[in-house]
Amino acid sequence: MNNYSPTVSKIITDYLERVRSKLRLLPANEQEEFVKELHSHIYEAYQKAQDQDDVAKILSVLRNLGEPAEVVSDRLPGAMVRSGSKRKLPLYILGGIFIALFGIPLGFGGVGVLLGLLFALTGVLIAYYAAAGSILLGGGVFGLLGVIRVLLPELWERLVTLGFIQIDGPVGDFLAHFPASDQGLFIILFASLFIVAGLGMLRGGRYLLRGLRFLFNLVFEWMRRFAQSIRRKLRQKPGPAPIFSQSSRPFEGPYNARFVKF
Amino acid sequence: MVEYSDESRDRRIIQLRKGILELAVMGVLYHEQHYGYSLVRVLTESGSISLKEGTVYPILARLSRDGLVRSEWVESDQGPPRKYYGLTSSGRRLFDELIQELDLLVSLVQKKWNVPEKSEHARKKLVVSRG
Repeated sequence: MNNYSPTVSKIITDYLERVRSKLRLLPANEQEEFVKELHSHIYEAYQKAQDQDDVAKILSVLRNLGEPAEVVSDRLPGAMVRSGSKRKLPLYILGGIFIALFGIPLGFGGVGVLLGLLFALTGVLIAYYAAAGSILLGGGVFGLLGVIRVLLPELWERLVTLGFIQIDGPVGDFLAHFPASDQGLFIILFASLFIVAGLGMLRGGRYLLRGLRFLFNLVFEWMRRFAQSIRRKLRQKPGPAPIFSQSSRPFEGPYNARFVKF
Repeated sequence: MVEYSDESRDRRIIQLRKGILELAVMGVLYHEQHYGYSLVRVLTESGSISLKEGTVYPILARLSRDGLVRSEWVESDQGPPRKYYGLTSSGRRLFDELIQELDLLVSLVQKKWNVPEKSEHARKKLVVSRG
């Protein structure tokens, strides 16, 4: 870090720190070694850089080098790279049980049952989204009313006299204790609760959606294989497949491809 | 006609580069040792390809994990020490093999295919064979 200005030195330290944080899972000596190597790279590049201003110079060097995440990739232990596919494992097991229970013993009937279940689940999902949507919509309307109560009391009164807004019962009694602006704030608070709940449901829905998509893929894949195996059985009936040697007739076209496949 | 998207083009270019760049790195380290920065310089000096400098480090990490390159720290007369890389003998052997494979692939890609217009008959067979 000898001939860097304090600012440049700080920028480099920050960058290397970000690199180090990406390498947390590696043994300390490997981390150090790679950081040292990158520092040497930064030094060389900095010496050769053209810019006049030293901050512009170091920034362009780091930009050329790339983001820490890119630079450290392929250095992380295998476990981290594979963790994405591992997360799906419980779903695979569930899907396997699902198919084992319904698909195999029942044949086509099982397919029907499976599809029925899938469509039922789809229905549930749609209902879920509809509920989330209506909660959000309700929250939006409440929020609007709250804003009207606070900012446009005359409009509120008009809406009440016209019958668009009817708040009575215990809620109305409760609200009547407070001045208009506080009533509005209460309504807005209530509305934001609704909106948060709705957004939360939408967010949670992603997992449901992903799970359902996975089940669909699983079932369709399985059906495809099932259909293929039936087709294969039907095809095996006509006479023996002609013998051909791969070396003399490699991939001659669609006709041969049929025999290569199995 | 539907235009391809930038995203699909970029993805393919990256895919192509990934393997070939590794070969290029091996090719450079076949004959002489380099440290990361000088390796980038050599690869880009022809000016035909722009390269994010950081991309050589993942490649070097892969190569050294598989024992295809070895590295040593060498003091520099100016600035911090440099980590030099060179191909190991097994790396050299693999490179020779990969180059042959690459030649085959390139000739496959560049071969002038004279595909005759498919007849109605042939197309029907295609459908049948796919079931």
